[in-house]
Amino acid sequence: MTMDRAQYKAGVLDAIPVGLGFLPIAFAYAAAASDASFSAIETTLMSLFVFGGASQMMAVGMLAGGAAPFMIVLATLIMNLRHFIMSTCVFNRMEPAAAPAKLLMAHGVTDESFALFTTEKGQSRSVSYFLGLFSLTYFAWVSGAALGALVLDVLPPLLADSLGISLYAVFIAILAPEAKKSVRLMLLVIGTACLNFLLRQFMDPSWALIAATLGGAAVGVFTVDLPELAAPV
Amino acid sequence: MRTEIVLLIIGMAVVTYIPRALPAVLLEKIKLSGRPEKFLRLIPYTAMSALIFPGILTSGGDTMLPGIAGGLAALLIALFKPSVPLVVAGAVAAAMLTSIFF
Repeated sequence: MTMDRAQYKAGVLDAIPVGLGFLPIAFAYAAAASDASFSAIETTLMSLFVFGGASQMMAVGMLAGGAAPFMIVLATLIMNLRHFIMSTCVFNRMEPAAAPAKLLMAHGVTDESFALFTTEKGQSRSVSYFLGLFSLTYFAWVSGAALGALVLDVLPPLLADSLGISLYAVFIAILAPEAKKSVRLMLLVIGTACLNFLLRQFMDPSWALIAATLGGAAVGVFTVDLPELAAPV
Repeated sequence: MRTEIVLLIIGMAVVTYIPRALPAVLLEKIKLSGRPEKFLRLIPYTAMSALIFPGILTSGGDTMLPGIAGGLAALLIALFKPSVPLVVAGAVAAAMLTSIFF
């Protein structure tokens, strides 16, 4: 893999809002891990090796509640099956690359890096650009957990709660301008959100997310025209 | 470090890595066209939509108001000035002001 510095830098810069959004979640996770009597090293190691906010929050919560580790691993698997879909989109968009490089990048696939990478308007489909997204978000997540574990209550509660909105804001910032261009896409997006809400009444939120994502896209195949959308496969 | 925690972390690392890595090794970049291509291109949009709602409602702690205010602020800014940092700043400010005053 040849490193393209400009692409890498663009990736790092584009990921800054996400990295800032990761910090309060990392602090909240560190606080929950501390409640489950995790040491600072254990808290940080889990962030390094799992790199999944929702799974880690769930894991330390379940552990504090006395759940068996096997059940936690199973719940983590179910929660992260969605990454199979996201990773498929990421690697289909990414320029051809050697297998080791792709296997390394795979660890960086999150809801957020997927959203940024697959909707990028320019030519940024390089491994270097994705590595930029990966580096910044990973650094924020791991260092946030370490900082949170060492210095509990890093942020005042008001700020911590308010920053919780930032990752949703990133998704809205990407989605809204696209939906504005096409009424049909807007209806599809709203419909998918409603479907997700409905499905959550009957099933686990992880399954609801997968079902709504795939169901929404399937309906969209027959209802939405997308000449000008980003992310040609 | 406790062995139980180390094993838990290893187990979680394996089950989070496999779904992320399988597409990287299984899929040689396939040339898609027609409906399968359209399906794959729509997934980022439907996934983001499902990630936003209803999760955003509980983003601000115990009450829903900060999440709603932040979401509406983000939507308004994104429709008129689509810049990610600006949208994030506006949403955080709206959520914080709502928490202070309500």
